[in-house]
Amino acid sequence: MDARGLADQLRPLLGDDAIITDHQRLRTYECDGLAQYKVTPALVVLAETTAHVAAVVRACAAAGLPFVARGSGTGLSGGALPHADGVLIVMSRMREVLEIDRANQRAVVEPGVINLQLTRAAQPQGYYYAPDPSSQQICSIGGNVAENSGGAHCLKYGFTTNHVTGLELVTPGGEVVQIGGKAIDAPGYDLLGAIVGSEGTLGIATKVTVRLTRTPEAVRTLLAAFPHTDQAGAAVSAIIGAGVIPAAIEMMDALAIEAAEAAVHCGYPGGAGAVLIVELDGPAAEVAHQFDEVEAFCRDNGAFEIRIAADDAERALFWKGRKSAFAAVGRISPDYIVQDGVIPRTALPEVLRRIAAISDEAGVRVANVFHAGDGNLHPLVLFDAAVPGESHRAEQVSGAIVDLCIEYGGSITGEHGVGSDKAKYMPRMFNHDDLDTMQLVRCAFDPSSISNPGKIFPTPRLCGEVPGRHKGAHPLADAGLAEVF
Amino acid sequence: MGEIILENLRAATEGHAVGATEADAVDSMPARWVALPVSTEQTAAVMRVAAHHDLAVVVRGSGTKLTWGARPERVDLVLDTTRMDTVVEHAAGDLIVVVGAGRRLDDLQAALSGSGQWLAVDPPRRGTVGGLIATAATGPTRLLHGPVRDLLIGVTVVRADGVVARAGGKVVKNVAGYDVGKLLTGSLGTLGIITQAAFRLHPLPEARRWVSVPVTEPDRIHVLVQQVVHSQLVPTAVELDRPATGDATLCLLLEGIPPGVQSRTAQALDLMGAGATAADNAPDWWGMEPLVGGEVLLKLTHEIAGLAPLLSVLDDACAATGLTSHLRGSVAVGAVTVGLTGAADAHALARCVADLRERAPSFGGAVVVLEAPGDLKADLDVWGPVGGLQLMHAVKRQFDPERRLSPGRFVGGI
Amino acid sequence: MTDPDRTGGPVPPATGTLGTDAPLSLAPAPSGEPAFDDHRPPSAALVADCVHCGFCLPACPTYALWGEEMDSPRGRIYLMGEGLEGEPMTPAMVEHFDACLGCMACVTACPSGVQYDKLIEATRAQVERRFERPKADRALRGAIFALFPYPLRLRLMRGPLRLHQSSGLSRRLRKSGVLQRISPTLAAMEALAPTLGRAERVPERTPAQGERRGTVGMLLGCVQREFFPGVNAATARVLAAEGFDVIAPAAQGCCGALSAHNGRETEAQGFARALIDEFDRARVDTVVVNSAGCGSSMKEYADLLAGDPAYAERARRFAEGVRDISEFLHERGTVAPRHPLPMTIAYHDACHLRHAQGIRTQPRELLTGIPGLQLREIADADLCCGSAGIYNILNPVAARELGDRKAANVLQTKAQLLVTANPGCLMQVASSVERSGGRIGLAHTIEVIDASIRGLSVESLGAPPTSIPPNPLQ
Repeated sequence: MDARGLADQLRPLLGDDAIITDHQRLRTYECDGLAQYKVTPALVVLAETTAHVAAVVRACAAAGLPFVARGSGTGLSGGALPHADGVLIVMSRMREVLEIDRANQRAVVEPGVINLQLTRAAQPQGYYYAPDPSSQQICSIGGNVAENSGGAHCLKYGFTTNHVTGLELVTPGGEVVQIGGKAIDAPGYDLLGAIVGSEGTLGIATKVTVRLTRTPEAVRTLLAAFPHTDQAGAAVSAIIGAGVIPAAIEMMDALAIEAAEAAVHCGYPGGAGAVLIVELDGPAAEVAHQFDEVEAFCRDNGAFEIRIAADDAERALFWKGRKSAFAAVGRISPDYIVQDGVIPRTALPEVLRRIAAISDEAGVRVANVFHAGDGNLHPLVLFDAAVPGESHRAEQVSGAIVDLCIEYGGSITGEHGVGSDKAKYMPRMFNHDDLDTMQLVRCAFDPSSISNPGKIFPTPRLCGEVPGRHKGAHPLADAGLAEVF
Repeated sequence: MGEIILENLRAATEGHAVGATEADAVDSMPARWVALPVSTEQTAAVMRVAAHHDLAVVVRGSGTKLTWGARPERVDLVLDTTRMDTVVEHAAGDLIVVVGAGRRLDDLQAALSGSGQWLAVDPPRRGTVGGLIATAATGPTRLLHGPVRDLLIGVTVVRADGVVARAGGKVVKNVAGYDVGKLLTGSLGTLGIITQAAFRLHPLPEARRWVSVPVTEPDRIHVLVQQVVHSQLVPTAVELDRPATGDATLCLLLEGIPPGVQSRTAQALDLMGAGATAADNAPDWWGMEPLVGGEVLLKLTHEIAGLAPLLSVLDDACAATGLTSHLRGSVAVGAVTVGLTGAADAHALARCVADLRERAPSFGGAVVVLEAPGDLKADLDVWGPVGGLQLMHAVKRQFDPERRLSPGRFVGGI
Repeated sequence: MTDPDRTGGPVPPATGTLGTDAPLSLAPAPSGEPAFDDHRPPSAALVADCVHCGFCLPACPTYALWGEEMDSPRGRIYLMGEGLEGEPMTPAMVEHFDACLGCMACVTACPSGVQYDKLIEATRAQVERRFERPKADRALRGAIFALFPYPLRLRLMRGPLRLHQSSGLSRRLRKSGVLQRISPTLAAMEALAPTLGRAERVPERTPAQGERRGTVGMLLGCVQREFFPGVNAATARVLAAEGFDVIAPAAQGCCGALSAHNGRETEAQGFARALIDEFDRARVDTVVVNSAGCGSSMKEYADLLAGDPAYAERARRFAEGVRDISEFLHERGTVAPRHPLPMTIAYHDACHLRHAQGIRTQPRELLTGIPGLQLREIADADLCCGSAGIYNILNPVAARELGDRKAANVLQTKAQLLVTANPGCLMQVASSVERSGGRIGLAHTIEVIDASIRGLSVESLGAPPTSIPPNPLQ
């Protein structure tokens, strides 16, 4: 049976409204936030309940068709890139905040709930959901679970995997399993730890139980402008070296500032080679003292202008520039590639210099936005696809930056995930045995290789005794867009 | 045959393999050999030998928690990790450390303290770092700093078939591939042998104060905990000590910079009410297990607001079976340990545990038997009901298809 | 909502598009022919500005309702892109373009500066010219546009007798059920509007009071002129009180906003030319507008008439002189003293003021400048109320859902008075509030300012002592 047949099978249960087979409509789902890769799915299903999801997955399992789950479709690694012969299961209609449980500091949500929506739901009770990706106004909790999303405040508060205590999971076989709950340390293997960040390859989460964090008593944010990223980096080292754990330290270089300014008119100090946004939160007395320290470190390391947010509105304005940075580069460049490498924080100044050198040599501009506190870089490689050769040069620069991160003992992806986009880099970071071992996990959950196959690992592992049709082909290879890596 | 095996093990470890003695028994299950590799490569070689000869392998660090879990079905080889104890890399500026799994936690902390840093776990039984991971050991500071799983950023593991694999890395932010480290955390050595681990570190706090208050009414305990939890005190730890007789004590640990700690201490004294005191040192029960000589130790998890029902259920279960309990643990996290005494026989203990489990939904957690005397434990269901067990079996089958890593020790007979 | 694949197979009964009663046509545009022709298609360059980040999705009312990509700005831009690539203009594609409210909340939200407003307007024009709508749909639209842009015809519709008699309309129209579709809107307008007897017509010229600071033209509008003449009267009074001569030519017609926002390009251009002529005759440099939808459209006259050499330059100059009343007063500063109006108001941002014109702080400052007045923000303020011009006539189900959301949020403020700057919003929120069983006073921003200048009472604005919450039993 192919996907069309599946549509007829699913219609009675899910309703006409939930099934999309029209070609033009299907095409609107052919990419997520990474628009460079497009594959039109054979069928799109908009699920509204766990039962729906389970039914679709079971049908796919029976038919041997691959499925891909999608939240808001804002991922930056092509994790929601569909399969041409598979089903795209869209979770955006499952968007109820089921419970805000203040006494237990937990929330239970459907996966389509938007990250910021959850925080807003908890705020009246003095709580919020800490992992705050820059796309939090649209990215879904389910998507956050799949990618183990971080955000600017993960330096202090951790990532999604540190905040998920329970999941309802539809396994690739179509069964509904409850894992964990509101209490921690459920006996047995830490399945949650494996599932969060598994990029949709181990099944689909249909309910998520998360920790809520107490809204801090005091929040203070400063914006510091430096002549050069070197000085900004030194300030960061001084802050961390003094034992201060800020809630967030973000850095943007001159090119990124230019883009952000054009987009949202954040009004960052003119002529800055780098700006730092440092945010401290916690008990008022602690914050007050540490803030003075931080300010001093910035000044001592060459900040020529320091602004301290006087109120929430000003704080939001400081952050606006940073949070819109990716989309904003669209204003200064027709096309761009966003990288997500991680390096040890202490290597920051040197790596930035190396990136500048790579950029100069290739004649390709690179704007830098990054989580300075934890060494997670987001180099934005700017190019114009219309100019012959630029696309290729941009790819090369991109790859060189990834290699740089690996060279310094970092990672190829800090928060965006591997997805389709970085699968080719996995063998640079891990050897065959490493990847093979990870794929044991995959085989445990998805022996038939139908749950978002072709993502993360460039070469799928055949799971034990399952011969025959090779369903794990990379979707780009399937669609004729790329060779097997 | 045994001679050949010993030969092979000695070859794999450059001579560091011996026949086992009584002291090497694992939870009263006698072992036959002990191998002490000094590196990941040697560990891999040992595992290849084990694979070749179908040996059941139990990993041992300091052996502090070898009796946790169910008794293994068989133990042929004890793989001792204590020779893999080097601090491979301590990048103080990046607040990370890479360390051999055989290093004792205390020795690691000593090595880190010179830079004003520590690995933010303080469990009661401090053995090796590898054991810390394998047992998901937990202590009071978990409330603020998170459990071991959240501090582990990279791992080197040797599979049952001898293949060496790495996962994670040396940087805190890393989502490349599956988080195998988390899967290994708490796995009691049933998925692989951890030989090396990378952790994120925290700065040692400048100032610390413990604020304690005695509490008599059970309901008051819950109310106080809720007040603390929703306050702006941001305690590093909230521990309850509730002995069988006498008052319970609720104690907070506040850490930070001196003026901040001072201010928060005053707030805490105010919040905790009459009888609350502040001290520069921890109470003597702090971070210790409530072992009362009965040698039965349970781990109970609970929803934070489930504390009151848990205490009530515990008291009921003990009363019904003639046992007495001493509860101690991290009530703001939802993980406590309970020491039981007065277990006349296995039957009483089993009934008590069953009662607790039956009423566990009222406090929303699980009941696991950590320790019990051998004869009592043999008849107990150590683990209780486990969600997602089928998936766990599937994971085990992939990693250890021949069931040679601590067989029978884990949930569902894994 | 999406309907299933319609190319072939039997027509499911009467569930048509978006809850309308009109069954969907099964005849797509000729296969093989691309969706757009060469006359002002949506710009490929503007489409390419979209980086697919999705920040527009949470701002979009239809995405809030249906949670599907095709009914989000990102998805609609994608469909436009598909059309530019050569995909035919199918009923499916048109359905999604039609479902767009044109609220422009996405324009405000977009970090990449995608000019969705230009894209949707160009797209709608293409749809109107090239897509053959089902008969009933065409009839409905025909009736709307035969009525709303013509103040005199609107006047004929006033009075309950007229609605039933409809002697001025053709028999075909009456038979087609079109009137049932329009009449709820007309009924709402009728219910809100004062009776004809009390209608104050704005004179051709209202002299400035006190020191004269300048001369401005004033748009009288169509619905505003016939159903809410009090708003026009208040506008003229306030401008005069602030020292401006107000020129409001009686012969002026429609600004063409409804036509422009619904793709009826030639019609819109005709209205625009006539309006420019009228105000040129009046010799004013500035034209003040009290209807958000109209003002936003008039500011785009340069684009609308860019292809007409006789009017291009005049249109550009005209557009540069268009001001929303709140924008104008804020710009020039106010001189007339304000008397207290001790009351709580909820201020609703009309989409064509907030998003299309970017006017957000000016009305708020004018209102909070009134002593004793307390302004409360409405939750989800950026989400459209569902009026969107004639959207609530064409897509009543979707509009109703959005109206309900807005009404709930409005009533939650517990304010006495809802203040907004668009007649359409006023009517939409009014009927939604009523449907929920709640009650709140309604006024145009300028009416509040007028009351303050004239020293009128809170009661004169129709504000109840406190707003009444929605009936929980409904």
